[in-house]
This record gives sequence, C-alpha cells and structure tokens, in this order.
Amino acid sequence: MSRIRHAIVSCAGLGSRLGLNSAKCLVHVEGKRVIDYLLPLLADIEDLRVVVGFQEAEVMEHVSKIRPDAVFVRNPSYASTSNSYSVNLATHDLHEPFMIIDGDMIIEPASFRRFLLAAECGESMVGVARSKTDEAVFVKLDESGYVQQFQRSPRAPFEWCGVAYLAGIHIERSSQFVFDDLSRCLPLKSYELECVEIDTPDDLKMAQREIHKYNFSFA
Amino acid sequence: MQRVAFCFDLDGTVIRGEILPHLARSIDLADEMQLLTTLTMQGAIPFEHSFRLRVKLLSEIPISTAQEIVSKLPLESNIIRFIQSHNSDSYLVTGNLDVWIKPLIERIGCQCFSSQANHSGDRLLGIKSVMQKEHAVKSLRERYERIVAIGDGMNDAMMLQGADVAIAYGGFRSPVENLVRLAHYVVYNGSGLCHVLDTQ
Repeated sequence: MSRIRHAIVSCAGLGSRLGLNSAKCLVHVEGKRVIDYLLPLLADIEDLRVVVGFQEAEVMEHVSKIRPDAVFVRNPSYASTSNSYSVNLATHDLHEPFMIIDGDMIIEPASFRRFLLAAECGESMVGVARSKTDEAVFVKLDESGYVQQFQRSPRAPFEWCGVAYLAGIHIERSSQFVFDDLSRCLPLKSYELECVEIDTPDDLKMAQREIHKYNFSFA
Repeated sequence: MQRVAFCFDLDGTVIRGEILPHLARSIDLADEMQLLTTLTMQGAIPFEHSFRLRVKLLSEIPISTAQEIVSKLPLESNIIRFIQSHNSDSYLVTGNLDVWIKPLIERIGCQCFSSQANHSGDRLLGIKSVMQKEHAVKSLRERYERIVAIGDGMNDAMMLQGADVAIAYGGFRSPVENLVRLAHYVVYNGSGLCHVLDTQ
C-alpha cells in the first residue's frame, strides 16, 4: 500500500471539445480505454474516488470491474459545474492529504511512480509537463523548481498537467479552476510528469502517437 | 465535532442476500418469493403491500426456524467490522420482522429499527407495524447532527433522501437506478463503503 491514502480521479465532464459523445475516460486509445491506463498506476492507493457525471452508469460499470473498491462520487450538475466542484465533492470530507488526477490523462508509468515517491515526503506538489500546445495553463518555475505562477500567457516551457498531491490545501466548490486554489498557496513544489491530456481531437491523435513511447509493462 | 449516525439497510447490504427468499425456500416458495422481492426492490410493488403479502406466505414457518435460517446467512465482513467498531452510532434499518432477526441483531451488536410482529410463542400471528425507514432517520435527527444512510433498493429511497450523506450500495446486486439518482456516493463492495464511512 502507498503512504498516500486517497486519490481522486475526475471523470465527470462532458468532453465537449473532444466531441465523441463519450466520457473522455472511456475513449479508446490504441485498443484500451483512457482510464485503463490510469487505474493500474493507482492500484496501491487505498481509497480511490472517481467523480462521475456524464455517462456515469457506463463509467461506474467499467471502473468497478477493474477496481471493485472504488468509491464513485456523483456530480449530477456536471454540465454546469467546473472540475473544482467535482474535486470538492470528493475531498470535502477528507482530513488527510490526497492526490487529484484528471481522468482524461495518460501518464507514463515510471514518471508517475517517481511522482508518488516524491509526494510521500508530505509536501504539496504540482505535476507539470513539457508544454505541448499554446492553449495550456503554463507554470512559471523558480530555480528550485517551485511554481511561482500559473499563467495563460506567455507560453512557458512547462504546463500544469492536472495532477497534484495536496496536503492542507482545499479545493473550493465555487472556484472556476483547480489552479485558482493552487494559486493562493504559491510557491508550490513541482514535479515533472510525462503525460498527455486528451481534450481535443488533436490531443487524441497525439496520445495515439505518444503512447508507444510509454512503457506500461510494469504498471 | 458533529455526532454522526450510520443507518444500514440489512438485506443485500449487511447481509449478502435476502432474508425472505431464504425463508421461503424452507416451504418450497423460493422462486415466487424472489420474484416478489425483486419487484419490490425495483419499486414495481409498494414495499408495505408486498411485505404484508410475503409475511402472510411465510407465516407458517415457526419463528425459531426462521431465526435459525437468518442467523446462517452470510454477512459482509467489512461492514460488520465497521458497525462493531462504531456500535453506539450504527443502526440497522430494515423492513424485516423483529422476531426473525432478533438473534442476528444481538450477534452484530448494534441498535435496530425494524417492522414488528404479533406472535404467540413460536407462532407468527401477523404484523403489528411496518417499518417506514424515513421515520428512523427522523427519530435519529433528535440525537445526531449528521446522518449517513446506506441502501440498495427503492424501499431505502426515503431513508437516503432524509440523510445528509446518501450512499447507494451495490455489493450484493446493483443498486436500483432511481436510488443511485438520490445518492452522493455509489460503492460496489464493503471495502469501498468503509472508505467513505471512515471519513464521515
């Protein structure tokens, strides 16, 4: 078992920018669903909470077959609320540190394992990735690798990737974005992850290319 | 610190099965009883009408025989552990008859809201009152600031609606769709359920 006890995977959103009429975590990439790549990485985390909304029955059916002890947190207002709202629903009763992960991500397993090990020291940590597009939320890092600022522009070498380990930081229901809450707690330690987030059809194409570079054999 | 009460449905949640179909097996009516029970869980038949009919069918079974059958039913071990470690704030809330489940409740060791039987010795005469689960929640409100309710069928709907935290449980069978719509959380085994309960 990991020393990190709680992980929240956000899978409630409509995925309207991808436009596939499917919850993004259920989209197929190279023969497997996106969530199938993520769940093995979280196998050692005792309390896995999956926030569901759009196509909740399908997501619950699929995830519970792989992770029967998963806790599904319902966000019936998924169409009109932000990811912060979903994260708050899943974490408002937690009094211990937790991981948050967007459910539309494919993460290279070795880099995720290093992230988990680094997080075990107990300090809040923000996952960052090499910037891939101009539409990302970029992070301005200091020389020690601490996040000084989240910004839409100018483009920076690293972007916020939707993964964080939060100790004593609460995500408010009313926030527009998770990084709004993180912005109030800066500076925050960063840790680089190799990953792709699937928001658009172009991201999906990128994921189909990038995934062959990832080694899932020991995930 | 808020005082929290935990209200558990019995059949299909604490017990890994249904009491009435097991009792019916002893008088060779298992399939008929399972059909009635399933329709009731899905909300196709109102609970009270169905329960009165089912009890009538089962009334020839001596109470001691029913107790013995109920006592042998498998329990969900994670939930039992949770109840026993929070026994002063855990409640079983069930439509089942008090006389049938008495030894089981004593063994689990928590408090219980149930339907009540009229009986004479070992003989069941009829039903004195049918448990309305929302009444259990209302009465606990006087003593608790926060109520957590766990169930799987439509007869749990009012209990979940009255609770502060509503959990649809699918450990024995999938929770009915309309109950899921009332729930804050959905879990599919006892271990997952305890992850939620431990953080309340």
